Amino acid sequence: MELLRPSNLAELDGGLFVHGGTEVVPLLRDGILHAETLVDIRELVPRGIDGGRIGAGTTLAELEASPHIPGALREACRLAASPQLRNMGSLGGNLLQSTRCWYWRLKYPCRLHGGDRCHAAEGEHREHAIFANDFCASAHPSDVAAALLALDARVRTSRRELGLAELYRLPDEADRRTTTLEPGEVILEVEIPPAEASIYLKAMDRKRWSFPQVGVAAARTGGATRIALAGVAPVPWLLAGPEDLDGATPLPRTAWKVEVARALVRRALTEVT
Amino acid sequence: MPELRLTVNGADHRLDAPIGTSLAHVLREELGLIGTKIACNEGHCGACTVQVDGAPVLSCITLAHAVDGDVTTIEGLRDHPLVEAFVRADAVQCGFCTPGQVVSAAALVAATPEPTTEEIRHAMAGNICRCGTYPKIEEAILHWRD
Repeated sequence: MELLRPSNLAELDGGLFVHGGTEVVPLLRDGILHAETLVDIRELVPRGIDGGRIGAGTTLAELEASPHIPGALREACRLAASPQLRNMGSLGGNLLQSTRCWYWRLKYPCRLHGGDRCHAAEGEHREHAIFANDFCASAHPSDVAAALLALDARVRTSRRELGLAELYRLPDEADRRTTTLEPGEVILEVEIPPAEASIYLKAMDRKRWSFPQVGVAAARTGGATRIALAGVAPVPWLLAGPEDLDGATPLPRTAWKVEVARALVRRALTEVT
Repeated sequence: MPELRLTVNGADHRLDAPIGTSLAHVLREELGLIGTKIACNEGHCGACTVQVDGAPVLSCITLAHAVDGDVTTIEGLRDHPLVEAFVRADAVQCGFCTPGQVVSAAALVAATPEPTTEEIRHAMAGNICRCGTYPKIEEAILHWRD
């Protein structure tokens, strides 16, 4: 294996990109990712906060401590992962993290790995999805993505600019990927429009850092409030309103998540309106 | 093998290691700094915590060749008052997590010399102690300068 450290985007030519390494290194070690060439992209990705623009290389720890970012994002960073992981992990990397589905992590030949079964739907799925779970029941683990989705953030990559929702796609028979990022494309910056009020609430299976069972972000801009959820679908999930929870399709052992989501959405809306 | 340059506890090292080698492995197996422990080896438990430029990170999932700051291990904190504070508070049972606990706590008190209980719990949340010495760890950090 080799490690490249390019200093400008033009030098990028394949390889597996790594920034903080908190996701890529364990997945490499577990044999879920494979690479002959690792590309340390830290010199390519902007780091720091400038008004509503945040460099994708900014660490979660830096965001957590910043008074200049919306409350929902700060709280999502504060509650995501351990202090050590927040010191290492970048904003861009957090958006691209893979599901915590234990079948996927243990390399079961599930649909997300290209197979023809969702082992979670048939097996242990207490932590899994309550929306869009008919093909793959994995739950998206990013607190930060839910916060940014509620805040209506936009993403600038090395090739294009897109709304955060467009960064994600539901896996299907023809394409098992959960993001729309193309090979060689790097997230450079996230831009957040001003919000009047925002909040992130998170249900965990213990009081300190853990992945979200249900994360609820709400942000109010003008008269409109956007609500986005983490941990409830294979991708970060936007609700048109609290009534959208009536359309959830929980698995036999994820119905409890719908009730938790209802309570958190109610609380979040009370806080921001 | 690719050359690796590291500054650890103020000393410069130059050695060869394959790409993909973790910082924890290099510290323990190449530099003999076995105070840094490897427990889960997948970035969950905090036993391998070291500081890079003062910030606690998990050395078991840090690529040694990607380290671009000064590394401080528990050996570099030998004379830190926290070590004695942990002893006074009896904040150790099996002791395996203790080096990582002290490394995290040292970063906390460097930034916040008089942390509140809530600040301690937030900053120490990434260091798991399976013996459950948390109340005594908290006590040690609260009274680290006594």
